[in-house]
Amino acid sequence: MVVKMYWISKGFIFTKVDSFVHKLDPRVKLLISIQFFTLALLVSDLIDLAIIFIGIILLASISKILSRLIRTMLFALLFSGIILGINIIAGYSFIYSLQIALRFVAIVCSTSIFFLITSPDELEYVLRWFRIPNDLVFAFVTAVRFVPIILLDALQIIDAQKSRGLELERGNPITRIKNFVPILVPLIVNEVIRSGELAEAMESRCYGVVKKPTVLYELQLNINDKLAIPFCTSIFILGLLFSI
Amino acid sequence: MKEKSIIKFENFSFRYDSANEFILKNINLEINKNELVILAGPTGCGKSTLLRSIIGLIPHMHGGEYKGRVIVDQLVVNDVKITDLAKKAGFVFQNPENQIFMFSIERDIVFGLENLGTSRTIMKERVDSILSLLKIEHLATKAPHELSDGEKQKAALAGILAMQPKILILDEPTSLLDPKTAIDFINIVNDLRKKIGMTIVIVEHRLDLVVGIADKLIILSNGKIIENNNPKQVLHYSNQLIPEIGIPVISRLYRNLAKSNYDFDNVIVTVKDMVKEMRRKKFND
Repeated sequence: MVVKMYWISKGFIFTKVDSFVHKLDPRVKLLISIQFFTLALLVSDLIDLAIIFIGIILLASISKILSRLIRTMLFALLFSGIILGINIIAGYSFIYSLQIALRFVAIVCSTSIFFLITSPDELEYVLRWFRIPNDLVFAFVTAVRFVPIILLDALQIIDAQKSRGLELERGNPITRIKNFVPILVPLIVNEVIRSGELAEAMESRCYGVVKKPTVLYELQLNINDKLAIPFCTSIFILGLLFSI
Repeated sequence: MKEKSIIKFENFSFRYDSANEFILKNINLEINKNELVILAGPTGCGKSTLLRSIIGLIPHMHGGEYKGRVIVDQLVVNDVKITDLAKKAGFVFQNPENQIFMFSIERDIVFGLENLGTSRTIMKERVDSILSLLKIEHLATKAPHELSDGEKQKAALAGILAMQPKILILDEPTSLLDPKTAIDFINIVNDLRKKIGMTIVIVEHRLDLVVGIADKLIILSNGKIIENNNPKQVLHYSNQLIPEIGIPVISRLYRNLAKSNYDFDNVIVTVKDMVKEMRRKKFND
């Protein structure tokens, strides 16, 4: 189960890929993601939803992240199955329930694709561009930065506890949740210690001296970005017109 | 008159809030400019506390009973902020993972400078010069999780050097490195000292890595300084050497041979010196 969780989590973590889309300005990537998100919210027809999926898959293929996006899709399908079931039980028609469930998948995919094509560094620049306070930006960046490290810590603790006889996949669902206590306790202790060391390192590198720190690079739109904005926006407007 | 010492402890004692006993007891110590000093001692003897009191994390971040004074480049630690001290002394922590904040190494190198509001032009110049100084230009755009332990340690060091401190403090920098990478890292530190002329304080358990290049070896035990002298003097003549500091094999060999009336011309602390001495002896015989 843990290995499966780790496999799925990779569908949400950015990895460097050399593609045209990855080289775009992060604000343009955000715009594209918002456009997909909006369309997924607005359309109601199954054919329209299918067109959105084709668009997302095309974008993922150009970005060379299709295999990763499939993991996200599988993860979303798991929940969409629950949504489908609940809607059918509630007395809605199968087609309507299917639309709701697929819309959920499209929304998750349009959000996930943004995180798969935007590096956390770029994400930070976007947040700063929106004038989010520095402390919030830094908290967000640090949280994202340490996700893979905490995952590795967790896997290491799981291995250590398994080698001492812990059986995670044993018992009923409640027992299985209880089985995770010996994992969570050392993990939390580890991360509390780590946060202390991080705080020391931040202090010793002058964090918080100026309210608005400078940044090494400035976001600048290049020719590809300037072409991508009208291209994507015109497709988005067309999509809007058709969905209405 | 120009001050010779850059770090000065005057009757310094410290006890953490959570502890009953003082971890450091009446420390009197002077470290001169451009010296490379090794701090050794058993686990829990107060080495890390001593280092943290140089950069002001003690008493500003870790509270406790604080006696005496610590002076760093003419600043009294107790009277100034950590950020003022950060410009004087840079601290490389034991685990580099916890001091790399950004997703690309070049961004992390300038993290301290960004926090000081430094201009973009200066930051770019500084990144280029540090990357080339440490010969890690190829790591500039890499993410921390793409680096090996040795590369992470170099990246952490780069982030500190970017702030151009006069003092470099290294807390067990080789503890996570394999022997070859550890030697490479110590060579880089030694090169830095030659090129930039920094004062370096290093906590190191593998003494054989650093005794050959150090000016002073300070041994702490139970919160007190029990030795503070030239490494050769300490390793050969001290009668207070404790096994916990990890006495280099060559020093043990030298001491044993010297005890057996083997006639050495010089005090030996490194393999290189021992080889030289043996060759000379063979040649003379």
